[in-house]
Amino acid sequence: MRAVRISFFHMLRFVRKDMMLLAAGILPFLIGIIMRLGIPYIEKLLMSAIGVASVLKPYYSLFDIFYAAITPVMLCFIAAMVMLEEHDDHIDRYLFVTELGRSGYFISRIAIPAVASFVVTMVVLPIFCISSLSAFEVFSLALGGTLQAIIISMLVVALSSNKLEGMALTKLSSLLMLGAVVPYVMPRPYGYLLAFMPSFWTGLQITEKQPLFFPAAVAVSGVWILILKRKLEVKIR
Amino acid sequence: MIQVKNLTFSYTGKPFIQNMNFEVKKGEIFGFLGPSGAGKSTLQKILLGMLPGYEGSATVGGAECKKHDSDFYQSIGVDFEYSTMYEKLSARENLEFFSSLYKRKARSIDDLLVSVGLENDAEKRVSDYSKGMKSRLNFIKALIHDPELLFLDEPTSGLDPTNSRLMKDVILEEKKKGKTILLTTHNMQDATELCDRVAFIVGGQIYALDTPHNLIMSKGAAKITYSWTDVSEQTATCELDAVSKDERLKRLIAENRLQSIHSSEPTLNDIFIEITGRTLV
Repeated sequence: MRAVRISFFHMLRFVRKDMMLLAAGILPFLIGIIMRLGIPYIEKLLMSAIGVASVLKPYYSLFDIFYAAITPVMLCFIAAMVMLEEHDDHIDRYLFVTELGRSGYFISRIAIPAVASFVVTMVVLPIFCISSLSAFEVFSLALGGTLQAIIISMLVVALSSNKLEGMALTKLSSLLMLGAVVPYVMPRPYGYLLAFMPSFWTGLQITEKQPLFFPAAVAVSGVWILILKRKLEVKIR
Repeated sequence: MIQVKNLTFSYTGKPFIQNMNFEVKKGEIFGFLGPSGAGKSTLQKILLGMLPGYEGSATVGGAECKKHDSDFYQSIGVDFEYSTMYEKLSARENLEFFSSLYKRKARSIDDLLVSVGLENDAEKRVSDYSKGMKSRLNFIKALIHDPELLFLDEPTSGLDPTNSRLMKDVILEEKKKGKTILLTTHNMQDATELCDRVAFIVGGQIYALDTPHNLIMSKGAAKITYSWTDVSEQTATCELDAVSKDERLKRLIAENRLQSIHSSEPTLNDIFIEITGRTLV
């Protein structure tokens, strides 16, 4: 555990030297402020301009789902970029032959950032959310978002060969978050075509107010993580 | 220190390392020589516990490589052929980080930098280092936790003769301290100079294993080339073990007419080609 702790804190020090990664770390807080203040303000403007009771309000929970996903994704993205840089510089292979080892490396670069992302999301979501979320909904959105962030960071590290590709792939793989929109806009039988996206189940959970869809989101995420774990092990050995 | 028995490994189902057997004694410099793709790196990865899916036995310091605990790496230092440094950090920051990963007392960073002539570049970012400087820095990183066993992969690759000499001297210093060193190289001169024993590896198999001297002497016949003036300069050669039968040489010696005489042994490279039928590149 000692080496894991050192490796994790080293990553934080390393991030401090990279302005892009530092900015990515601050972004969830900025997005939170903009969402909390901006969306209700835009809603007011739209209501007075169009003259209807609500325009964006029915989708406030969707904004919250996205926010609960973006926060951990941005934080795990930082760790993924560090992993890609370490892979480019062959440092990961060297770390495998230190006390840190292969499993310690993945714990310090994927598991701990994910736990930290979950904690941060649990803290910021109730502060910046614009719909009324129950405690369980905050928990499930934070956990679902974190699992999604793990998937995206593993996808990025497993499939891209450098940081530039990694950034492009992050944008592309962030489309996974769009599954949450489907229950809001698509009739049910067709929506199930996107059941392979964990965010689809999160969207269902919130629109249907049905907590039983949460285990489905976790299970689908679990399958993604297992598949990507194998890919990652093949890439980094 | 290292024991390998009936070691077989495959990436794809087709054996890549085949029934390999050898042992490395404590305090020995043992060289793996072979062309690219011969299995040297795979063997190194197995010994480092990075490829646990092998058959047979491979033990390092008494621990089976595929079942090692986290302390396994406390006594192992690895110098990969490529740089394994954070390019954005300085040499000192890199060495401080890597030494902090070990429980063992770290060696003095300044002393290590001095030993390879990098004392004036400690605060420079690694991205500003030349290839040779990176190679030297990479090497001392393997020594930072004062390990008993060193895996060195082409440690003198890309170095100028002066720095190559410097590195070889440090390696020999480590041997004097009782360190066991596994050296992987294409460089026959390095192997001959540094290694107590070498193994020729081709196609995942060991073709020969002995001291460089014994390999050279057992396979190659040393020759003598001599010259003399007879109207114009003449040269002739004879086998070292047939000198007494060379009447002309005996006569030239008796008449003090030799202009030059020198012996030439085959190099380890010649022996490698003779035994394996392959070149080292």
